Amino acid sequence: MADQADFERDAMQYTKQLYSAAMRMTRNPADAEDLVQETFLKAYRAYGTFEEGTNLKAWLYRILTNTYINKYRRESRRPSEVDLGTVEDFYLYRRVGSEESAEAARTTEDRVLDGLVEADIKKAVEDLPENFRLPVLLADLEGFSYKEIAEILDIPIGTVMSRLHRGRKAMQKSLWEFAVNRGLVPEGAERP
Amino acid sequence: MSGRECDDALTQLYHYLDQELEATSLQLIRNHLEDCSGCLRSFDFEYRLKVVVRERLAEDVPDEFILRLREAIARESSTSP
Repeated sequence: MADQADFERDAMQYTKQLYSAAMRMTRNPADAEDLVQETFLKAYRAYGTFEEGTNLKAWLYRILTNTYINKYRRESRRPSEVDLGTVEDFYLYRRVGSEESAEAARTTEDRVLDGLVEADIKKAVEDLPENFRLPVLLADLEGFSYKEIAEILDIPIGTVMSRLHRGRKAMQKSLWEFAVNRGLVPEGAERP
Repeated sequence: MSGRECDDALTQLYHYLDQELEATSLQLIRNHLEDCSGCLRSFDFEYRLKVVVRERLAEDVPDEFILRLREAIARESSTSP
């Protein structure tokens, strides 16, 4: 059993990560702050039931995502399972890395990776339907394992893998469009 | 990108980057990447993209919010038994 007196020391080290995830879930600072605060208060009240030595970060994320799904989800009246259509694998790389010489390809790759700004990456994640956005955030922002994501979202591990795969492809398609619009790829590259 | 080994490697690319492969598969991929510059380039690109995504998604937490958060927890602790 964990002691409430240790809560600040143990749990608040994850504030930055939880807030970053909350920003991509709610898409605005005011709601993100509310969501993180509510998460910490719920976690504080329940801290006595948290088993010390188990995965505190995953426990906090489970509270965060459940709170978000129950309270903030704008799509709550829509079916929560949205599909993404078909996007080919490695969508971005297949376009960026298609130059004749390895050297030219590397230059384009660097320009795209350097040139995609924070706003592009954030938008690409935020535009994902929620059932894809949450696994992508948990894997790519937080580095949770597939098993941890399955537990946090309460979905089978196979579903985690397929949503992650499709979510990342859709994100790459958005990033390619941003790269083209920002003029980061050579003239004549395939337009979106 | 061609051949059966390349197809196998690319199928496992995300499992590799997500550190979800067990030792045997991991070693097979590493061996293949040593021999195949095409696959190495695509693995490298996807790895760099993953890092860029993680870094550029991180938010700075406003200082005032940290203060409010600590106050909210302190209030909660003074009202709970």
